[in-house]
Amino acid sequence: MVIKRAAKAVPYISLLFIAAPLLTMYIGFFLRAFGERMVLGVIPERWGINNFRFLWQPIAWGLEKTTMWAALGNTMLFATVSGFIVTVICMLAGYALSRIEFRGKTFFLVLQLILHAVPGQILLIAIFFLLLYMGLLHQIPGVALARAALEIPLGIWMAKGFFDGIPWDVERAAMIDGCTRFQVWYRIFLPLVKPGIAAVFIWGFLFAWHDFIYVYTLLPGTIKLMSTLIQSLLATEVIDYGYLAAMSLVYSIPPLVLFVFLQRALLKVPIFGGKGAA
Amino acid sequence: MRVFLDRVSKHFGAVKAVDELSLEIGDKEFLALLGPSGCGKTTTLLIIAGFYRPTTGLVFFDDRVVNDLPPRERNIGMVFQSYALYPHMTAFDNIAFPLRLRKKRKKEIEKKVKAVASLLHIEEILQRRPGELSGGQQQRVALARALVKEPSLLLLDEPLSNLDAKLRIMMRAELKRLQKDLGITTIFVTHDQIEAMTMADRVAVLERGRLQQVGSPEELYNMPINLFVAGFIGTPPMNCLAAVLEEVEGKVFVRTGHFSLPLPDSVVRKIRSRLTSSAVIMGIRPEDITIGQGEIEGEIYIVEPLGKDTLVTVDIGGEIIKIIAPPGFKANPREHIRLGFSVEKIHLFDKETGKSLLI
Repeated sequence: MVIKRAAKAVPYISLLFIAAPLLTMYIGFFLRAFGERMVLGVIPERWGINNFRFLWQPIAWGLEKTTMWAALGNTMLFATVSGFIVTVICMLAGYALSRIEFRGKTFFLVLQLILHAVPGQILLIAIFFLLLYMGLLHQIPGVALARAALEIPLGIWMAKGFFDGIPWDVERAAMIDGCTRFQVWYRIFLPLVKPGIAAVFIWGFLFAWHDFIYVYTLLPGTIKLMSTLIQSLLATEVIDYGYLAAMSLVYSIPPLVLFVFLQRALLKVPIFGGKGAA
Repeated sequence: MRVFLDRVSKHFGAVKAVDELSLEIGDKEFLALLGPSGCGKTTTLLIIAGFYRPTTGLVFFDDRVVNDLPPRERNIGMVFQSYALYPHMTAFDNIAFPLRLRKKRKKEIEKKVKAVASLLHIEEILQRRPGELSGGQQQRVALARALVKEPSLLLLDEPLSNLDAKLRIMMRAELKRLQKDLGITTIFVTHDQIEAMTMADRVAVLERGRLQQVGSPEELYNMPINLFVAGFIGTPPMNCLAAVLEEVEGKVFVRTGHFSLPLPDSVVRKIRSRLTSSAVIMGIRPEDITIGQGEIEGEIYIVEPLGKDTLVTVDIGGEIIKIIAPPGFKANPREHIRLGFSVEKIHLFDKETGKSLLI
């Protein structure tokens, strides 16, 4: 009996070992965000929301002042534009790669994987000049475009996978019924790959939301996003960890909300029956 | 509308899916494309629908070459084996979809959808989505969607094979009646020879991309052009035995390992010019053998009562033969029995080429 019980406990114990460091960090994070005046660095003396004062107070930044809300708005704009660009391009490319035969298709698909393996940072200088000549440097939408380009390769594969799941017969039926290629895509396929649209959008949105290096390099210091704002607060002489933890908590809420919001779309997969003869 | 395939071929790399197929489908005709899986029948249908461009050859609709016409401009209705309904639309919207693409007025769309729904008895389920419909209902919706645009050609790709046996027999009759009532030229793809025989005006038998024979069900049954057609059509299939022809005192006999049958003069006259060697395959249908009397002796292998009649398997010196016996026939395994072959119903095929020597 004892051995049986012990055997049952093994997976939980091993999982706990893996999860413990992460859990500790999250717990510390919450403690810091809501605790005031920490004793020994971990035990809060008092609970409160003083750490969240950036929600209603401007943040001093050198001689200027900024607010968290401006940075949050900028981040939202940046991530949304990036997610939107990724979604539109991947949905079109994914359909084409799933359904249309053309020369160099396999090469193109493999190339996407190779491109994704290249770290985005090595392109920074090239992108800097590209955006400069395109007149898009130092603007959120322009940098979002560059950021989107990095997620498009894998996004295309994701989108293709969703389109591949739709039987050929459905496409053929639509074409027989009078659809052009574009109408097949727009009227039949897009409604059927709603989960795919949501997934690809989240993909593009999240990476832009968390991005630091592109934002830091390609946007002027006057345009603050959450990541650069937090970084600038770290670069002060006295670091207020509670303040930072509270801000990081606010920073992580919108993607969670987006997840919950799109959850329904993600789970709503249409069901096909029968054999889709190719 | 008349459809004419003129030496149509479709190659996928080195594979010849359809090989030099010539076939004419008359106006208002119901033609079945019959063959085992992989014989090229679905490819042929997709060529007619315009999804595949023939590698060589021409496709005619009436007198117009349609090789380059995209599917949406061909005015065809098609029902797929999987039904291919749009899962995100209700049955009504599925049926209305082709009309909406044609930008018809809302009133007209409603009227036409209602009419075709009543024709197919699906008025009650129009507000449901495909996921909430049974297989049979989905099929009717698919059929309604194909018919609502009043197509000049109806293509059916194994539409009955996903239905249960009882429903299939019902739909067989209903489809046939519908086709006759509406008078739409129809091409029906199936691997089920009973479906093809019962429904179609003419049946085209395909194998390995080549047309074997095309004709009325009776023609295919009574005068199969080769061994493939002979073996493919009819349940249970024709009995085929290796045999040789020999002439004894002016009379021609067909001799298998264990018995010999005299051939009627009419048959002998027919085969004389076509004969290349004396080695032949003799074919005889299970219903053309009488049991209980005759000059051949066999041993009962097993008896299977089918209700209407009885299927008897007999062993003649190692050759297994199927016989349709009258109902009520009874015998025990290993029992000896006499058989009579109706010689005028015998089929003879060239052993080398498999071609019929009678046609």
